[in-house]
Amino acid sequence: MFDIPKEREVPFAGVTPAPVGEQPMMITGNWRTYRPVIDHEKCNLCMNCVIFCPDACWQLNEAEEEVVWNSKYCKGCLICVNECTTAALTKTYELDFEDGVVRLEKLF
Amino acid sequence: MAHVHEITVWTRGVVKDKEGRDVANALAKAADKEGRFTQAFDNYVDLPDRVNVPVRKYARISDEEIEMRYDYENEKPEVVVVVDATMVKGMNILRGMNKGGVLVVNTDRKPEDILKFIPNKDLLKAIACVDADGIAGTATVDFSGSEGGVDAVGLGAGIAAPLLGAVARATGLVKLENLAAVVKNKEALYRGHEQTVVQTIN
Repeated sequence: MFDIPKEREVPFAGVTPAPVGEQPMMITGNWRTYRPVIDHEKCNLCMNCVIFCPDACWQLNEAEEEVVWNSKYCKGCLICVNECTTAALTKTYELDFEDGVVRLEKLF
Repeated sequence: MAHVHEITVWTRGVVKDKEGRDVANALAKAADKEGRFTQAFDNYVDLPDRVNVPVRKYARISDEEIEMRYDYENEKPEVVVVVDATMVKGMNILRGMNKGGVLVVNTDRKPEDILKFIPNKDLLKAIACVDADGIAGTATVDFSGSEGGVDAVGLGAGIAAPLLGAVARATGLVKLENLAAVVKNKEALYRGHEQTVVQTIN
């Protein structure tokens, strides 16, 4: 209908590439003040953390038979700690760890 | 153009939003009592602030009229205040800073523990650590006073007070007695001023 030259086209707002496994335009790891730490000895793979995590930061590694945490997107809501049935997850202060640095130049 | 002292406060949305705003507002008000030209405002880019997102608050202090009054951001902060210590892992908090700035962090840890997370620490003249959470107790979660509204809770009722004492100690930008005239929790202000650990870097 409108004859817009290709170089003057404006992308639709809020569009991010999909489907992708991880969304690099919405990294939320720097929201975190406490992180969940898993004790694999206590974990009985009930999958509560995988189900309840709002950002899908807990995933089952089927080969190793353990749940894996994604530090890049975990915002430290600690819902997983609350839902853990065997108390395998504990909350720990973020500055206790050297890793998990997500340093963004832009806020979002 | 006279030199404008730019102060940037990094804080977390909603849960420590009021405290960060109090630091910027109280610094501007205290400097205003000395007859200087001041300004304090929130960052528009960060809005809408959600729980725990990194947000910024700004203050400017100048001996002459501030010409950059309508700039949205502090491009070259001289003093950076971090209300939540874990933010040093999540942000380049010293962005735009010229050499010789001051960093004030709310933490119960030593300055070395904070400095190891800051890759561009050469820019700093000094770092000051104060255990504001321990001194003042909990943070005030309140939206009064935001976006030009009436502040019903009052400035510096929570952890902002010891942080302001730390800023006065580390930078000397504003006088402590002027801060005490503005801040509500005066005891926490004085305790923060006393208990701040200042480490000179360069």
